[in-house]
Amino acid sequence: MDIFANLAHGFAVAFSPINLLMCLIGALVGTLVGVLPGIGTIATVAMLLPITFGLPPVGALIMLAGIYYGAQYGGSTTSILVNIPGEATSVVTAIDGHQMAKQGRAGPALAIAAIGSFFAGCVATVLIAILGAPLTKLALAFGPAEYFSLMVLGLIFAVVLAKGSVLKAIAMIVLGLLLSMVGSDIETGASRMAFNIPELADGLGFATVAMGVFGFAEIIRNLDHGAEMNRDLVQQKITGLMPTRKDLVDSTPPILRGTVLGSILGILPGGGAVIASFAAYTLEKKLAKNPSRFGRGAIEGVAGPESANNAAAQTSFIPLLTLGIPPNAVMALMVGAMTIHGIVPGPQVMQKQPDLVWGMIASMWIGNLMLIIINLPLVGIWVRLLRVPYRLMFPSIVIFCAIGIYSVNNAPVDVILAGVFGLVGYWLIKHDFEPAPLLLGMVLGPLMEENLRRALLISRGDWSVFVTRPLSAVLLAVAVSLLVLTVLPALRAKRDEVFTESEN
Amino acid sequence: MADTMGHSATATRNTRLVVGFCLLAIAPQIFEFIWSIGTIFGWGAGRGPVAVVTSHVTALLAGAPSAIFGSFGGGTKKVSSDVLLALIYSYPLFVVAILTLFMTIRSAQDYVGGVVLMALALFALWAGSDLQGMRGFSFGAGTAPRMFGGLLVALSAGIALTGLLTDGPPMAHYSWRGPLFVVAAILFFALSIRSLGLVVTAYASFMIAAAGSHETRWLEAAIVGACLTLGCAILFPSVLGLPMPMYPRFLIQ
Repeated sequence: MDIFANLAHGFAVAFSPINLLMCLIGALVGTLVGVLPGIGTIATVAMLLPITFGLPPVGALIMLAGIYYGAQYGGSTTSILVNIPGEATSVVTAIDGHQMAKQGRAGPALAIAAIGSFFAGCVATVLIAILGAPLTKLALAFGPAEYFSLMVLGLIFAVVLAKGSVLKAIAMIVLGLLLSMVGSDIETGASRMAFNIPELADGLGFATVAMGVFGFAEIIRNLDHGAEMNRDLVQQKITGLMPTRKDLVDSTPPILRGTVLGSILGILPGGGAVIASFAAYTLEKKLAKNPSRFGRGAIEGVAGPESANNAAAQTSFIPLLTLGIPPNAVMALMVGAMTIHGIVPGPQVMQKQPDLVWGMIASMWIGNLMLIIINLPLVGIWVRLLRVPYRLMFPSIVIFCAIGIYSVNNAPVDVILAGVFGLVGYWLIKHDFEPAPLLLGMVLGPLMEENLRRALLISRGDWSVFVTRPLSAVLLAVAVSLLVLTVLPALRAKRDEVFTESEN
Repeated sequence: MADTMGHSATATRNTRLVVGFCLLAIAPQIFEFIWSIGTIFGWGAGRGPVAVVTSHVTALLAGAPSAIFGSFGGGTKKVSSDVLLALIYSYPLFVVAILTLFMTIRSAQDYVGGVVLMALALFALWAGSDLQGMRGFSFGAGTAPRMFGGLLVALSAGIALTGLLTDGPPMAHYSWRGPLFVVAAILFFALSIRSLGLVVTAYASFMIAAAGSHETRWLEAAIVGACLTLGCAILFPSVLGLPMPMYPRFLIQ
């Protein structure tokens, strides 16, 4: 079996002491930063990106992957204990998880979240190993037209899954596409919209924009109501970490359902992990015999979404590793990290650098195991960390981000740009624009433009190539129908309902 | 009575918005003027302030209108970038500003968001106006920026329209303290990291950023800032091997 040979190879790579250490550090640091309220996964990964620069590529990516799911795990810890979701994917976890914590059952809630995540992680790891090779073959059948259509589909997904107005989400994507065009043109080398500023000739750094829009903007926004930020911390000591037998029995089916749902949604481009947790929560509520228990500390409401978002977080590596298309903003940062190490993500990576790909896949499983072993005993420390007042935390985050951005290129201009994007991000939040689609647009922009140009060049300027090639036509048709469905009033109401439910 | 009061309230609101949009319409010109003041002292390159003002004023008042009428006459004279800025960016925004006078805005959040986004898109269109367009059936450097710029203009117009047609939230409240000090800290960091080194810069930026919250206790912040600076000084250059200056340049030399 090819798959298992590959996986075994991956484990051999991942189990080397240095990579194990990277994985451990990544998971720990990721959790540490993820636990701090006000910093989401994207900001965490962006902030910690520079610390992986000095490492060899395999170690760096293993560490980044560790940071990623560590941050996710940290996010669910805060949402259970303090009702502050560290990130969008754990918003729904907060609904029932925090209620459980209030009833003194924080321990089981955290344990179930960890167990669910671990199980989902295991399944997703196997899934990546199985699907990786065939999808890579599929990728070889992709021409520029198909790539372009696939990216359109991904962006439309991001629109559908974004909160609030569809028009605003599309506008954010287009703004991201425009921002991605700053700098040198790929084909002609002409300097575009750079105003003769030498630092802009290379384009806007993705990490710079991400840090500005997600890091600085969040800090500024939190300062708005800093004093009022009411953290109703669960004060009582967390006792009885282990869930009871009844808890386990209750949460097994939701974990299974969440895993399946999350795995499917994660593969689709466009921010799968967020919608996976929402969808899992809605599903559990629909299936429950007594839906009124939800929102009052139902363990199913923790188990389902947590497994779903972890499964989705991991399967979202599939489009990245096989097609080279980042399905969400965190994966986009991964692309940034890979490019810094001289790796171009895409179908070739699987063949040319099996160490990297399979090592990373194996390390995901190890990372999940580490999270469950290390973090459950460490919950007490994470809780104490939450007591650090924001007035001390935010200047520290500012400095950390500033040093991080500076060290990417040793360019002070990057830091200024990040500050500017911080203000832009603050403005966007104030006007109810979501920054995540912007980031995705910015990442996919160069890829999209390149493939569009290439496709039109091959077809000699004939735009119908996108609908005459069957694969491309199917992808575009799916994208259009999705968009139409979202705008339709009936479904729209449904979608709004899902999102508002998560807020209350 | 209440009705008239409500009406006058929206009227004052609208005039404020109109003034804001007009300022936005000439924001790039104002920015270039401020930037050009630096050239008096020999900082940076570019045109002097007098040249900037005269060029933009003539472009706004004379150049652009004549270019519009000239185009009716079939003139293909090359227009300067200032005139283009007035044509592509400023005039459409002035039009929007004038239209705003006669509108009842039902959701200021959407309306203002849409208009500012439109300004950004128009600005991008201007910034990309010197780039080459289609060459036969192959894309030029400017084709894609123009495509997406045009799309964004349309989308933002749509957003502004929803602000006129549907009820929604008013403008959100902006606070000034947080943004000001956080951005000041970032700016200070960027401007002084090269010359002052990590230790001084990080500590000073920490203290500046700390001023952004009114709950800051200074003694506490001073101690934490010192610890953080020490931590960063050990972590980044030594452990992670990222090269950056540690101490002020004048101390080392």
